[in-house]
Order: sequence, then C-alpha cells, then structure tokens
Amino acid sequence: MSVESPFIISIPQESLSLLQQKLRLVTFPDELDDAGWEYGAPLTDIRRLVTRWSNGYDWRYHEAQLNMELPQFTRDIDVGGHGMLNVHYVHKKSDAEYAIPLLFVHGWPGSFFEARKLVPLLTRGSPDHPSFHVVAISLPGFGFSEAPRKKGFNLDQYAEVCNKLMLSLGYNEYVTQGGDWGFIITRRMAHLYGPKYVKAWHTNFPGGTPPSLLGQPLSFLTMLFHLLFPSVNPQMQAGFDKTQKFMHSGSGYNAIQSTKPQTLGYSMADSPVGLLAWIYEKLVGWTDGYAWDDDEVLTWISIYWFSRAGPTAAARIYYEVGGGNTQKLGELMGTPEYTASIPNGISRFPGEVAILPKSWAKSNRKIVFDREHERGGHFAAYERPVEVCGDLRDMFGRGGPAFGVVKGRDGYNSE
Amino acid sequence: MSTENAFQISVPDDSLSLLRQKLALVSLPDELEDAGWEYGVPLADIRRLVDRWANGYDWRHHEALLNAELPQFTRDIPVDGHGTLNIHYIHKKSDTKTAIPLLFVHGWPGSFFEARKLVPLLTQNSEHHPSFHVVAISLPGYGFSKAPSKKRFDMDQYAEVCNKLMLALGYDEYVTQGGDWGFLITRKIAHLYGPRHSKAWHTNFPGGQPPSLFTQPLDFLSMLINGLTAKEKEGLQRVQHFIATGCGYSAEQGTKPQTLGYSLADSPVGLLAWIYEKLVAWTDQYPWKDDEVLTWVSIYWFSRAGPAAAGRIYFEVGEGEPAKQMARFSAHESTSIPLGISRFPGEIVCFPKSWSKNLGKIVFDREHDGGGHFAAYEKPEALSGDLRDMFGQGGPAFGVVKGRNGYD
Repeated sequence: MSVESPFIISIPQESLSLLQQKLRLVTFPDELDDAGWEYGAPLTDIRRLVTRWSNGYDWRYHEAQLNMELPQFTRDIDVGGHGMLNVHYVHKKSDAEYAIPLLFVHGWPGSFFEARKLVPLLTRGSPDHPSFHVVAISLPGFGFSEAPRKKGFNLDQYAEVCNKLMLSLGYNEYVTQGGDWGFIITRRMAHLYGPKYVKAWHTNFPGGTPPSLLGQPLSFLTMLFHLLFPSVNPQMQAGFDKTQKFMHSGSGYNAIQSTKPQTLGYSMADSPVGLLAWIYEKLVGWTDGYAWDDDEVLTWISIYWFSRAGPTAAARIYYEVGGGNTQKLGELMGTPEYTASIPNGISRFPGEVAILPKSWAKSNRKIVFDREHERGGHFAAYERPVEVCGDLRDMFGRGGPAFGVVKGRDGYNSE
Repeated sequence: MSTENAFQISVPDDSLSLLRQKLALVSLPDELEDAGWEYGVPLADIRRLVDRWANGYDWRHHEALLNAELPQFTRDIPVDGHGTLNIHYIHKKSDTKTAIPLLFVHGWPGSFFEARKLVPLLTQNSEHHPSFHVVAISLPGYGFSKAPSKKRFDMDQYAEVCNKLMLALGYDEYVTQGGDWGFLITRKIAHLYGPRHSKAWHTNFPGGQPPSLFTQPLDFLSMLINGLTAKEKEGLQRVQHFIATGCGYSAEQGTKPQTLGYSLADSPVGLLAWIYEKLVAWTDQYPWKDDEVLTWVSIYWFSRAGPAAAGRIYFEVGEGEPAKQMARFSAHESTSIPLGISRFPGEIVCFPKSWSKNLGKIVFDREHDGGGHFAAYEKPEALSGDLRDMFGQGGPAFGVVKGRNGYD
C-alpha cells in the first residue's frame, strides 16, 4: 500500500549558503593555449558559468518555476532485496479523458528536468492527436529520489521501480519513452513487463547490434560491403566515424564511472565547479548546436548539486549495470534483448553520440515506427520536444502503428 | 650562463590558508553498505585523512624535512617549439667524485618525492659498491616545475627536457632509472640520446609485447607448446583486471584532462581520493602512514602548475585516445644501450619475461618477492641493490660512463 505525498522542491537555505561559500573559494586550473574543447570544457565557459552561479543566478526563482510547471510527488516503492526507496516523480495528467499513460525515463547526466518541455506538449488534449498522462520518474540516486543503499541495484531493479510506480498510480497498462539509460531501462521493462504491463516502447537512442553472418546474412554482407567501400554510403561511414570517435575519445566519463564511481564521487560531492564541468561538457558535447542559456545550464546542474542523494550517487548506475568493468556496458548496449512482444518506435537525431545503421536495431525487436530527423542530439526530449512529441503522436495516434495499445486509453476523449 | 637557482619549497601562507578553508567546508558523499574498495576509495579512509589534513597534519614540518634532505634547484630549459620551461629538480652529489650520474624519472601520480629514500642509498659511498650523483627531475607540469603552455608536449619533449637538464649539469654521459611514465621517457631518452649521452637505462616498469613468430620464434613456439607458467598467468590476469577495472583514471585523463582538472584544482578531497586510490592499489601492502599520504598529495595540491596539469601527459601521448596510449607503451622503440630490469610482484602490469626481450639490450633482469609500482619508494634497498649490482664492479654495465665508474 504505497502512499503518495505531493512534493515541492525546497532546497534548505543552508545548502544554498554552502554552495555560495564554496563558489567564493573556487580555484580554477590553468589551460593550454588554444585548447578550445580538445582537452575538455574550456576555461572561459566555466569561469563565466561560475561567476553567474555565484552572482546573479537565482535558484529560488527557477525552483519556483519548476514547482509551478511540474506537479511532483514522492512515494515509497519496495524493491526486492533493497527495501523501500522513496521515489520522486513528475505526474501530469492530460485533459483528455482517455489519455495514454506514458512513463518518461531519463539517463545520465539527465533528470526529470529533461521532460520539462515535453510534458505540456504531450498532455495537451486535442481531437487531432492523442494525448498522454505523463509520469517522469527520478531514477533512484537522481533528482529528489532516494538512492539505493545496498550494492547490486542493477537493471532489473531500475525496471522494477519504474513498473511498480506506474502500477501504483493505477496505470496497469502503459507505454514508455526513454533515451540513454532510459533506453536500456525501458528495453528491460519491455522484456520483463511487456506485453502484460508495458504495451509499447519508444526510444530516441536507437542502439543496435552488428548483424552476424549466420543470424542476418543479408545485413551482414551489406555491412561488409559498406565497410569495404565507404564512399558508396558516406552517411553510413560518417555515422561509424562519429560512433568510433565517441568510443575512442569521448568515453572517459564512462570508464571511470563504471569502475570507480566512489573515487570520482569525492570530487563531485565537494566541488560545484568540478560537477559543473563534468556535466556541462556533455550538455554541449552531446547536443546538436543547442543554444544553452547559462541559467538553463545552472538549473540543470543545480538539480545534481542539490539532489537528495548528493551528486555521487547518480554515477553508480554505470558500475552496477556495467558490472564494474569497462567492457560490459558496450556489450550491454548492443545486446539484442527480446522485446518483440510489444511494438517499438525509434526517433533518430543526427547529434546522437552513436550513429548506427538502421538495420542494426532490428534484432529481437518489433519496430513499427522509425523516423529520422534533421536536427537534434542526445537530449532529444529537451532539444527537440516538438519533434519527439510529434513522433509519439504519430506512433500512438489514430492511424498510427501503435494506436490503441493501451486498453481503453487510446489518447482521445470519448466520441 | 646557467640559470640554476637553489630552491627551497616554500608554499605561501595564503595557499595553506585556502586549503584549510576548503577543508573546513568539505562535503563528503555517502557510500553503499559494505562497499569496501569495490567502488573506489572507502569513505572511512577519506574521512580520516581529511580530518588529519585539516587538523594535525603539519605541512611546514614536512616541507622543512624535504628541504633538509633533498638539495633542490630550478633552472630554465628551452624546449623546441615550447619556449623555455623553468624546471625543478633534486640534485644530490655523492662524495665520490667519479660517481655515476643517474637521472631518476617519475611518473603519475608520482613526483620527485618518490626518490626520497633512494637518494641517500644511491649517493652513499663505499668501496663495496658504486655510488651515484642523483638527479630527480620534476617533469614539466609536476612538482615545482612549470607546465607546458602549448599543446602536443609529447614523449620527445619530455626526453629533450631530461637530456638537456643532465647536459646542463655537466653530465655529458649519464644513466637513467624510471618507472610508469619514467619508463616511456627513459626509453625515449635511450632511443634519441643513446649511446651518445644516455649510456644505460634501468626500469622497474618493463613494457613489451608477446613474442611473435617473426620477432622471437622460439619463445613464440614455446608459448604455444608449453603455455604460460602459473606465475605468468597470474601476472596476465592482474593486467586483465587492471585494464578492466583500474584504468578509468587514464581513460579520463587521456580524453578530457581539462574537464577532470576543474575538480582536482578546486577540491582537495577530490584530489586526495583520486591519488590515494592508486597509492593503495598499486603498492604491495605498503603500510602508508596518513602524514606520508598527505605529504605525497600535498605536493600535487601545492604544485607550481596546479593539480590539473599533471594528467595532460595521458592526453598528449595518446593523442586524445586511450587505446593509442596503451599502444605506445607496448610499441617497440629501438635502443642500443644496456638495459636493466627489476620486476616487483605488485606491479600493475606484469608481463611474462619473454615479452621484454625486444625492449633492448637486457643485461640485467631480477625478480623480487615483494614491492609494487612505486618501487623506489616501497623497496628502496632492493632497487638500489639492483642498480649497484648492475653498475658495480663485475656488473654487466660497469664503467658505461667514461671516467665515472662509481668508485674512488
């Protein structure tokens, strides 16, 4: 019998003071001449952001905005082997009577905040398109959810929390949207809880597995052909190059978080500028020319700084799901878990960190929707909310390939 | 024409005060139940070390000891394409005038401090063993040396600084000792400046490659036929474990050292944890005293270039790709001068002996029963014993330096 409490973000004044005290003592490193972004986040950016954070940035104002826009709650969820976790979430209902329950699952360095622009679009009722009741969970260890206390909080546990949350809200059948860890978690949910509870899943992080000679001979041969003759499909080659570059030069954060999150965590918990740089590098590196406003960045990062579990907890997901070593996560991304009992939708954005051939996503999935976009990156729901919303409406709306998957909640008012 | 100045470590009062202020505001994270060392450094260790650092640890005392024990200097060294860098180093001469000039090159997260115990042993004179004039350089970006200000300060540049320093000190011919980055740098010195200036090199961190049919056919076939010994297997398993679970630091430093640098420059506890993890993991049950750890880490905290600079070597050597970094460690580099190897069981990368064969002209190769990555610091007697045996009368590298055989 889980009990829901309404929740208002209300950071204690001491926390704000401590942040200011730390910022006043900030010590910046030097930087190589003409470093640009080559060695990491540039000094001018970080200096400017820190100056703003200590002088001018008004957390209380943004806190109030968030509380106004996003109805939030907490509730205790029991997780097998891990006891009760108090979980924070946004829950915004649509005007439409039979709106589709949709769970949005963020990743790292994301949070419930990523759903901010998507929520009003998805919940808006109209006869012309379906609408959704949106639940945006703060994964355990992120935002204002408690963090796990024991070791071994793995993929099944994240999936369990998400599923139990939806069920406790009375959504016996629902759909999901996720990218980054949200992709991995909602894929697991599709595998474990589809089609009984999860009726369809949508992702902006396509994933994929290279075809094998025996499994998908035609795709395999096509892949070989393109690898041998890259000029034939420059777009595919560019995708491979980008993916390689990410794996070879952009995965340091992954390597340390998958192996020693506690060691890294001392910096993250103690140094606001350290945390700022760590996350900001990804906010810029993983988006597609998104015009970040300094206050926007600072709010995004303040959610980490002021998070219930502290900034250290979030990265543990890499260790737990990655098995404490640097290889496993890559394998996990590409492992084609069986999810074909329910329909899957994909939205592809060119700024995503890994661009793989479309055919690679097919294994063990029932892809009913696959759309490419011209602009947008990793944080699709935040950068391109209109497109993501449009894709969800097309996938689930009348005439769409996943229309009516949730019994009695097709997204429209009764006719 | 020399720009050598005597140097005393003298950290400004402001710096000490700032450190105290930051420690007073420290925010520690939570920790999972029974985490032990699995996820990184345990909270109990860090709490204890931070409390000591804020309360009781006396930097001025340790600073004075270092100044008393280790004669230090700075001098300007021009580096092609990188202007002039002011370099800090220890230079302790033996009483034996014809002692062998030896350059000690540290790595990461090491520093000149690693040579602290080795210096008195190596400079000691005796008719029974050779002695050395010891130079322990602070690599650019470490200790009290300036850091490079331009991109692409790579192995050639580190080697150039080292060689120029020795020449500037009047050591036209010299030998080297190095581990960690010190291995790659002294190998580069051997490659570029041997045998003209560098006459022999010794390492406790031998790289190497598996034998191939072409390079070492007999070893290759033997490996296929006989497999690996239990000890060799265990060594390779440790390498596997290191690569799978212990290389996150080098992946981050090798790709985004600046991003990481904001944390290390701003947070003493962040820096402490980052380095302490390796001080424990890479040593062979070395009984660290808290003040010892704090002095080691304080050298990074109070370093001339700041704590963010030291990690850049990982980026430069790998050109921003950790895989390339590893490749350079294993890649062959031709050297013609005698090479000595000391093998310590706690070393993080322990390849089978046959893999070192094409490293160079191995004239000395000894295995030890204890000791780890920071061999000069953990096992100074063993290491100095090896150097004495390698360079002493009757040893395989006796008399390599003209007119300076280590004896009166």
